[in-house]
This record gives sequence, C-alpha cells and structure tokens, in this order.
Amino acid sequence: MKKILKLTFILFLICAVTAGILGGINELTYRRIEEQNRLKTVKAYSAVLPADDYEEIDFAAAGIPASIDKVTIDKISKAANGSGYVVESTFSGAQGNITMAVGVGSDLRCTGISIIKHSETSGLGANAASTAEVGVNFRAQFVGEGAGIALKKAGGNIDALSGATITSTAVTNAVAVSIKAVSMLG
Amino acid sequence: MLTNIISISLGAILINNFIFSQFLGCCPFLGCSSKVDTATGMGLAVVFVMGLASAICWVVDTYILVPLGLAFLETLAFILVIAALVQFVEMFLKKSVPSLYSALGIYLPLITTNCAVLGVVLLNVQNHYSFIESVVYGITGGIGFMLAIVLFASVRERIQFSDYPECFEGFPICLVSAGLLALAFMGFSGMSVFG
Amino acid sequence: MNIKKQFKEGLITNNPVLVQLIGMCATMAITTTLFNGVGMGLSVLIILTCCNVVVSALRKIIPNEIRLAIFVVIIAGFVTIVDLLLQAFIPALSESLGVFIPLIVVNCIIIGRAEAFCQKNTVGASFFDGIFQGLGYTCVLIIMCVVREFLGSGRFGGGLIDIANGFRFTLDGTGGGIQIFPADYGASILNLPFGGFLTLGTLIAVMQYALKKSAKKKELAEKEAAEAAEKEVEE
Repeated sequence: MKKILKLTFILFLICAVTAGILGGINELTYRRIEEQNRLKTVKAYSAVLPADDYEEIDFAAAGIPASIDKVTIDKISKAANGSGYVVESTFSGAQGNITMAVGVGSDLRCTGISIIKHSETSGLGANAASTAEVGVNFRAQFVGEGAGIALKKAGGNIDALSGATITSTAVTNAVAVSIKAVSMLG
Repeated sequence: MLTNIISISLGAILINNFIFSQFLGCCPFLGCSSKVDTATGMGLAVVFVMGLASAICWVVDTYILVPLGLAFLETLAFILVIAALVQFVEMFLKKSVPSLYSALGIYLPLITTNCAVLGVVLLNVQNHYSFIESVVYGITGGIGFMLAIVLFASVRERIQFSDYPECFEGFPICLVSAGLLALAFMGFSGMSVFG
Repeated sequence: MNIKKQFKEGLITNNPVLVQLIGMCATMAITTTLFNGVGMGLSVLIILTCCNVVVSALRKIIPNEIRLAIFVVIIAGFVTIVDLLLQAFIPALSESLGVFIPLIVVNCIIIGRAEAFCQKNTVGASFFDGIFQGLGYTCVLIIMCVVREFLGSGRFGGGLIDIANGFRFTLDGTGGGIQIFPADYGASILNLPFGGFLTLGTLIAVMQYALKKSAKKKELAEKEAAEAAEKEVEE
C-alpha cells in the first residue's frame, strides 16, 4: 500500500511539473498564436476581396440557411469599404472537407477564391490550393463569374484541374452557393 | 443528423480509411497482420478502445479542459486517458469476461501506442464533432482499421507462396502490397451521401 | 570512437526507420514536400534529444513499475512545447503537418529509445544517441521527399526553396521549389498514399540489399584472413 502511494505521488509530481512548464510556455505563446490565426484569416480574405477590415454579419438573421446544396456556410463578412462580402464555407472535396473563402462583389460576381484548409491529394486536388502556376491559373478563372458558374463540361467557363474532377466540381459548386447566399442578403 | 452520421461512417471506413489514406496505425497494421486470426483480434480490440476513448476524451475535453482554458494540455491528457483506459479494460476483461480477455488480452497493451487511437481523439477535437459524432467516428474509424488489417492479413498469407526479389523479403514486400490495397481504396474517394 | 559508432548506428546500421522498422506512419504520410519532411525530421530530432537527456538524467529516480507512464508524460510534454512553438512561429508548418505533430507522442522511436537506451546510459551518451537517431530519421524523410517529389511532380525542394526572385529559403511554405521537368510528365501516383508505401518499401529493400552485401563482404574478408593465417602457420 505504501509503495502504491509512493508511485502515485511520483507520477503525480511529474505530471504536475510537466503541466506547470506547459502552462508557462502557453502563456508565452498564446497571444502570438491568436495573432497568427487572425492574420491568416485577414490574408485569405484580402486575397479575394481587398479591404482593410471585415465585419462578420449574422447571416442566419437575414434568412440564409446554414447549408445550401451540401455546402455549409460558416461565416459571411462584409468588407469595411462596402465593395462586397466574403463568404467562408466548408464542403467535402475528394478526400475530406475543404474550407474556402469566396469574395463576392456588390455586382454579385466572384472577385476571387482562396482555399483556407483542405486535405486533397497532393499533386492532384491539392493543386486547387497550390501557389504554383497551375493553382493560380485555376483560381483566377473564377474572377468575374456570376450566378451561372459551371465547369466547361457542364456548359460553363471553368477548366477542371487535370485528374481532379471531384475537387474542381466541389469548388465550383461552393462558389455558386456563395454567390447565391450573398444575393439572398439583398 | 442521420445523413451526417452516415457520411462520417462512410468517410471513416472507406473514403478516408485510417490506414490507407491517413496512415494512422501503420505499426500494428504491419506488425499484427501475419495471420487472419491475429488480425481480427487486433481489429476488434482497436474498435473497442477507439469507441471508448472517443467518448471519454470528448467528455474530458468539453467539460474539463476547455472550460478551464487548458486546451493546450489536450495531447498530454488524452494519452494519459488512453493509457489508463487500456489498463482498466484489461483488468476488467480479465476478471469479468475471461473468454473475451483470452481473445483480445495480448493485443490490449499494444494499443496504447497505436497512433490511430490518439489520432481519432485529436481529430474529433479538430473537427468540432459533437458527442455522438465523436463516438461514431471512433467506432467506424476502428471498423475501417479492422477492415484494412483483415484484408491485408489475407493478402499476406498468400504472399508467402509467391516469388519476389530476395531483398524485398519481409517488410518491403508487405509495404508494396499494402500500397496496392491503398490504391484500390482510392476508388472510394469522392463518394458522398446525398441529402 | 564511441560517438563515431553511435553516428554510424543512427544513420545506417541501426537506422530507426530502415532497420528498426519503427515510426513509419509519419514517414509515409507527410513526405510529399521537402518542407514537410525537413520540418517533421527536425521536430522529431529536437523532441528525441530533449526526451533522451531528461529520461537518462532521471533514470535513477524513475521507479521501474511506472516507467512507461512517466516516459509518456515527459514525451507528451516536449511534444506539446514544440507544437505550441510551431503554431506561434512557423504556422505554415504546423498547419501542413496537422495532426502528425501531436502524434509524435506515440511515435515508437522516442519511447523505444527511452526504453532501450536512455535507461541504461549516461546523459552524454543519450544526448548523442538522440541527435544521431534523429538525424537518421530526418535523412530517411528527406530521401523519401526528394524521390517522391522529383518523380511525382518533377520538382525539388517544394515549399522550402523559392527561385522566383533569386535563390532563397522560405519558412512560410510558399516556395515553388525548383522545377526540373514539367509537372505534367510526373508520375503523380507517387503523390498518392500508394507512393508512400511503394517508396518506403523500395528504400527498405535497398537497405536490406546493401546490409546483406556488406555482411557477405565482411565474411569473405574474414575467411580470407583466416586462410592466410592458416597458410602462415603451415609455412
């Protein structure tokens, strides 16, 4: 019995010391981590619709459902300079969920897209988010597209990424949903 | 709700199979797959522990760590919960269900360091799953693991009778055939539940 | 002499991935760009070295019955520290490695070294063991990344190297790498999970071949030496 108590005490002591050190490190880093996360959002947003600041709006109050055509709408933010809205949405790609920010101008045309998080196959679907030429060209196609956006094989203007039809279709669909959601804002 | 659960299950078993697409739990996958019997035992033990661990870790995270602002201790807390859980399950089975213990017993200690178990509880937190979603993801993730390891064990039993370059003996040939299985699972990608 | 031997063991004869066959999950999962490979390798190297030093320093205090639990707590502590630091200072790396950073806790390399080496050796020896085993792991990751990236997308150093405006290293993971041949001609199958299994399998096979060959050579040399010695005796 005495031995068990001693062992428990040692284990507890080591856990406590570790937790204490981690608390200290967390105290030192958490502000920076929050700042990094905020910067990331602003960076993604300003890439699709340039503005100094974005104000999140309550889209449920405006009568927009949380999910349209299998695309979940996470956030809608209004650009401070009144040039339009940024819609952040999550939907399933070929391998897992994709989170994407879509800029929609006040003329209801897409001003740009930026993929925030994804787990698509490297070299195929992941090209949609890549900073290489193939990704930049793919995303540039969406600029200026309106409500009727579709892939070429469905009669639209968007070239699918080679070998990644599922990802391309999902992204195109989400852009269409984002435009629809903003149009519902009126 | 139901479609959500079905799509999580489908994802965990087929589309994002823990082994073939996320590479979680490769060590026991390669270590315990030389016979179909052992593979089934290991698979069952993993399903059991992953389901339980998902449930308990969700409760620990939502009601203890997050309210206290200790989310940075998640990794540490989860691995301790899993280690303790495995110990308790082992003791409980030994006393109360000896038949199950004799089937699963030897695999249980190995599960503590199975990254699929820690992986599933971390992914639950990352994906903001609710309690039910977490448990479903845990159990179906385990089923996906079991499917993979049983399929692979039957492939391995046949490898023994085939000719391959001498230097591929052992692990290398297993890895290559596991790769081919992973390729087959690629066929499930893009499947989605309508609703 | 001893350090030299440890160096050789860590990198070649007792390489954690290729010979001990442990820590393979991350090896196959994240080796798609050099950025990921180097980041993961160095993270493991730092955690392994720290854990080795702490475990060997505490080896006389840790009771044998609960040693594994204590190892796990120490490892989880260091992993969390590295995780937090990465999130704060290299967020791109932390995002692209995702769940595989916290999963270093269950990477068998670290707990394996604590159990097999640090329990019985001094702090100094454990420190070097950590560095060399970590280097061995990093080397394997780098080889995997280079092979998969080159054959898969015709690129070298994706995420880590940028040559658009002169040669420079990018720590935010945005570098396009050096395009050696157009990506369209790459075997993009190597970027898929299948590529991970295939590349690692082939690497281990090459290693087995090389080790076997060098063992044979040694045997032959010994045999010759023995024969020569015998001849001398006869004469």
